[in-house]
Amino acid sequence: MAIDAIAAKVITGVGTGTLSPVAPTGGDGGEGFGASLARLVGTVEDSHHSANAAVNGMLNGQLDVHDAMIALQRADLTLQFGVQVRNKLVNAYQEIMRMPV
Amino acid sequence: MPTSPITSDAQTMSALRRTLSLAAARQVVSSSNLANLSTPGYKAQEVDFDEALDQHVGGARLAVTNGRHLGGGSDAAGGFATRVSEEGAARRDGNTVQVDRELLNMTRSAGEFARAQTALAAKFRLVRYAINESR
Amino acid sequence: MSTLNTAVSVAASALSAERTRIEVAVSNLANAGSTRGADGKTYRRRDVVLATDTVRSFDSALGAASATGVKVAAIVEDQTAARRSFDPSHPDADSEGFVELPNINPAEEMVDMVGASRAYQANLTAINLIRDLVSRSLELGRA
Repeated sequence: MAIDAIAAKVITGVGTGTLSPVAPTGGDGGEGFGASLARLVGTVEDSHHSANAAVNGMLNGQLDVHDAMIALQRADLTLQFGVQVRNKLVNAYQEIMRMPV
Repeated sequence: MPTSPITSDAQTMSALRRTLSLAAARQVVSSSNLANLSTPGYKAQEVDFDEALDQHVGGARLAVTNGRHLGGGSDAAGGFATRVSEEGAARRDGNTVQVDRELLNMTRSAGEFARAQTALAAKFRLVRYAINESR
Repeated sequence: MSTLNTAVSVAASALSAERTRIEVAVSNLANAGSTRGADGKTYRRRDVVLATDTVRSFDSALGAASATGVKVAAIVEDQTAARRSFDPSHPDADSEGFVELPNINPAEEMVDMVGASRAYQANLTAINLIRDLVSRSLELGRA
């Protein structure tokens, strides 16, 4: 899917740290929906923790403004990306549930 | 070495961020020189390029391996080492700082910073667009 | 350490120091003929001694701070002998008719003043440059 391929790799490489990459849907063969969603939430949370730390660092005068801004953007993009992936995962799950047994 | 254009997007962003850091480091060093324009015996400093190059490579690796690392250097030049500048003859009081040279350096670094910031902001917009339009 | 903010602090320290130099030069010029200073004796030329002022970062233990500001270490009185001028009609002339005048060379003071003024201007330019970069940094946070 377009989101996974393009955005995932871009976000993980922005340069202020590595996030655990979200597996492309169906690409890792075998990870359950629950596990995928949990990992997704973890990734988003990590990025927000980094962003908070960065902003605090900036306010303390320990970190440059541009570094803090980059961390904020990363967190925001990660969240947006996470929302889209979650939507797709949930849709896929619902479709499967709809299939007649 | 990944050749896919997707990964090079991430590398571009990393490179842009390092450009910002390097430009900022140059500014603080030039600023120190300018501030000490009248200080007897003060020798003009500059960012050590050879070390800066090594740190670029090392810094990227550092950022990738530790997710919590914020990337800011622990010393005031943002993690970049400095050395005494070769240029500039000493004046009678031993000072080697040249106003025009420092101002020129600052203007140049400011330009680099501005360009990198513009490019990085554009990249962020592009990625956001990619995320949202792929609904 | 916030690099750009440090750069501003450093430049600001120079504004303060150079202003002091200008003030001292002005004082010297104004008192070029003063035979009665604050202590009743001839005004002595004053000089500003500048020294580097290192800006330490939080983690100074980990690495040498590379930002160096400037500070006025001291304002000292020039110890060279006062000028003696033969002027018996001067109210402060001594028994031999000589007056002790301040050892001030107006041309030198002007040169100092112009130099300090130029340095002040350069650091002000630096502050403006950096301020622009900081506001650009903030723009990175815009959606």
